Amino acid sequence: MSLEKLSVSQRLFRLLLRVLPLEFRTEFGGEMEDLFRAQRAGVAREGGAIGMLRLWWDTIVGIFTTAPREHLAILRQDVGYALRMMRANLGYTIIAVTTLALGIGANTALYSVIHAVLLKPLPYRQGDQLVVLRQQAPKLGEMNVPFSVTEIKDYREQNSSLGGLVEYHTMTFTLLGHGEARRVRTGVVSAEFFDLFGVRPILGRTFVPADDQPGAPAVLELSFEYWQKFLGGDPGIIGKTFEMNDRVHTVIGVLPPVPQYPNENDVYMPTSACPFRSSPQMIAGRDHRMMRAFGRLKQDATLEQSRADLGTIASRLRKEYPQYYPESTGYTAVSIPLQQELTRQAQPALIVLLAASCFVLLIACANVANLTLSRMARRERELMIRSALGANRSRLFRQLVTESLLMALLAGALGLLFASGCLDLLIEFVARLTPRAREIRVDGSVLLFTLLAALGTSLIFGSISAFQRQEDMSSGLKEGGGQATTGRKGSRVRNLLIVGQVAFSIILLIGAGLMTRSLIKLQSVDPGFVAEHVLTMAVDLNWSKYKTGPQSLDFSRRFLEKVRNEPGVVSVAISSSFPLDPDTFASGPSTRRFQVEGRPLKKGELGPESSVRAASPDYFKALGIPLLSGRAFSEADDGEAPLVALASRSMVRRHWGSEDPLNKKISFDAGKTWLAIVGIVGDVKEFGLDKPAGDCVYVPIAQNPSVGSVLVRTNEDPMSLAGQVRRTIRDLDPEIAVTNVESLEQARSDTLTPARVMTDLLALFALLALLISATGIGGILALSVSQRVHEIGVRMALGARSVDVLRLIVGRGMVLVLLGAGLGLSAALALTDLLRSLLYEVTPTDPLTFSLAAGVIGGAALIACYLPARRATGIDPLVALRHE
Amino acid sequence: MNSHAEAIELPLPLTAAMFQVLLSLAEGEKHGYAILKDVAEQTHGEVKLSAGTLYGIIKRLLNEGMIVENRHRPDREYVDARRRYYLLTDWGRTVAIAEAERMEKLVAAARAKHLLKRLKSV
Repeated sequence: MSLEKLSVSQRLFRLLLRVLPLEFRTEFGGEMEDLFRAQRAGVAREGGAIGMLRLWWDTIVGIFTTAPREHLAILRQDVGYALRMMRANLGYTIIAVTTLALGIGANTALYSVIHAVLLKPLPYRQGDQLVVLRQQAPKLGEMNVPFSVTEIKDYREQNSSLGGLVEYHTMTFTLLGHGEARRVRTGVVSAEFFDLFGVRPILGRTFVPADDQPGAPAVLELSFEYWQKFLGGDPGIIGKTFEMNDRVHTVIGVLPPVPQYPNENDVYMPTSACPFRSSPQMIAGRDHRMMRAFGRLKQDATLEQSRADLGTIASRLRKEYPQYYPESTGYTAVSIPLQQELTRQAQPALIVLLAASCFVLLIACANVANLTLSRMARRERELMIRSALGANRSRLFRQLVTESLLMALLAGALGLLFASGCLDLLIEFVARLTPRAREIRVDGSVLLFTLLAALGTSLIFGSISAFQRQEDMSSGLKEGGGQATTGRKGSRVRNLLIVGQVAFSIILLIGAGLMTRSLIKLQSVDPGFVAEHVLTMAVDLNWSKYKTGPQSLDFSRRFLEKVRNEPGVVSVAISSSFPLDPDTFASGPSTRRFQVEGRPLKKGELGPESSVRAASPDYFKALGIPLLSGRAFSEADDGEAPLVALASRSMVRRHWGSEDPLNKKISFDAGKTWLAIVGIVGDVKEFGLDKPAGDCVYVPIAQNPSVGSVLVRTNEDPMSLAGQVRRTIRDLDPEIAVTNVESLEQARSDTLTPARVMTDLLALFALLALLISATGIGGILALSVSQRVHEIGVRMALGARSVDVLRLIVGRGMVLVLLGAGLGLSAALALTDLLRSLLYEVTPTDPLTFSLAAGVIGGAALIACYLPARRATGIDPLVALRHE
Repeated sequence: MNSHAEAIELPLPLTAAMFQVLLSLAEGEKHGYAILKDVAEQTHGEVKLSAGTLYGIIKRLLNEGMIVENRHRPDREYVDARRRYYLLTDWGRTVAIAEAERMEKLVAAARAKHLLKRLKSV
């Protein structure tokens, strides 16, 4: 019946029929139309309009209840068949599923990280409204100047865009009365701090303004981790007391597991509990800066408005207090979204890894599509028979898609296992980059991602093979040949897939190569000290007990005397900190401004800055820092002696050039006291092997008592002395907390961990890609050899030598490899720029790495091509010709 | 027939609609529309089939071998080329009988429990 003659009802009914599977429609569609027409005629005679409506309703309901059942029946059939086919081709199934599982697994693992770190809203109430406040002095290159108490007050009172502004600083307390004295990292915060973040305690309460009044009872808020790790998650902890330094503190609450920024703390206290923060000088001193500030945007305020608002306050302060905010600094204040701050460091690495894992998945898809196409050639007979038996083309297409879907789902499940298996490793890596690492887990969204990845995967590799198959079927049937998939179009698709795989593999290889070169360079960096055989530990003198310099010095002197003569000790030193100290590594150098004698500063001009390290005389010997000229400190440089200092080489060069700096003087207190430079020491990379050595001034600890760490150079394994040194400290004063006991080599190696893990992961991805691609190339050539047995036989019968056959097959493979490598190299030129921020002394277009990667892929491909080619040379022309 | 029925597991119970289709075909071969009308009459309109449900059932009965399409019909005076006639197979008859017997047993059980007293007196 032609369409134009159809009534509206018939057209509607036909449309309705489309809900049913094609097979069902083909089988019964015509009859159903007839039946419906007869029904309509019957109703028209008897039932009228209501009868007609009821007929339509019944018909629609009937078709919609039948359709799912019919679709399901076909699916069940297809799945059963697909499972049988997968079992029958177990080798193929295992290879394909494993390849895809690796790709999906890598992506799932990376997604779980990216979801938790970059995509999920912050686990605070309306986290997108939280901002970090920064004072900046851009003309001095200082973008994160801490706040003083008065500045916090000014910004809190004068702003109009923030619904709240709280302060934060961190310090260490010493916990006493619970076994060995323990260092407790303490966040000191405004009473409204947790309310601003919208963090509700899991036990007890958070701070209230009354807790922050001078003279209020000392209270403690525990972090979830500290409560779990050191207090065994004691549910009855509220109301218990802890002696910290000289005060007894009562626990009032336990925080939930939320990311802590900018530091991970063990406990929190209100600002009144910190004696430094509460001192009159601190409260009144506009330039006594040690706090950080956080705010929450008002409901109707935007980030831009708050920036303008803070900028206005800053310019007001500049006018009001020019002595504190000279024009030469470019002083201003900005707000930055907390989310951005929390993930800033992690973002580049994660994006690179995600891109790499996507490439691996694409390579895996291409490889499985190729594998499926090759297998299709072997399944030719089966598919021909099925289509001869009446299976229509869309039915076969559906069958092939079901097979790929099943395989992808299986791979997805396996990939999920793989991802959850390596999640801990990833969390450890990411924890070094962002406090949000604790939120990484396999949750509903990750499961959904895996499912989508599996579906997407099957769509990519399944449809490539199924569409190709359809093309081949039509052309193959037209030609009446049985070798449909050997058709030119089929091999063109397979060749394209190979080219793609090689291109992606080379990009990954280059990425991994660049990271490896960068890591090697980092590892061979001369840090300016000798890390081997040095034991380090952080010591926290209970500051409420060691109130004066002489008290600290007394401990320092007695400790050095005792340890110096112990067996195995070469030299021992006490200092405020040490290179790559895990305590100060993350925060970077804290510098002080100074003035050079004879070079007065103009009005409003700020002096140059340098980090300052207090060190006992043997510090340089213990760390192997070379003394370049002058003398080191001696016992004679004590509190009574003239003030002296040592300067690092780069500092000397910067400020004195070719002049002799010895006996020149500098002052850190605007000329009140002057320190004479008595020696020059080598530069030291204090805050990262990838960062330039900063200027450093060393002062004798006896003239500047600041005890923070102990360094012992040994002539054996430094860790073997750790127990002994700890005991010595405990014997001298059991109230001193000792932490971070490790060798300097370990501290140095720890700073390289993120780079190392990143390199390992990229290398793993690259290796996977290389393996998958090489087997892909080998497989395709092997298939091509088996399909060209006859042709090769003829060639050999006509006098072709083994070498010619070898060249023919290898040549065919290598053309594809060269094409792919060319494409990959060009793409890599653009893509590796993503790595720029992660590389050390290696450019993203490093020619050596590019050539090496090309060499590796060329070599692997050559081997992959050679194996099937050698088999081709073994073809006996007689057998080959007979075979046809 | 019973022994055959017991040897192979019977697909019981049938749905009411399936049973009615088998009942309708027990009298002889019929085409779809005839079955549909028959079932409506048999059940006094209680079981109402539509095109979708009827052909869903027909497909299932065909697959399970309870009915077949009669392809060897002598030409009648008006034959629509598309109209197909369905026929009950021996297996279909066996299943229908087994289903009827099953229902009979149910009714008997209900009677024994005096649930169907009034019916008994009829």
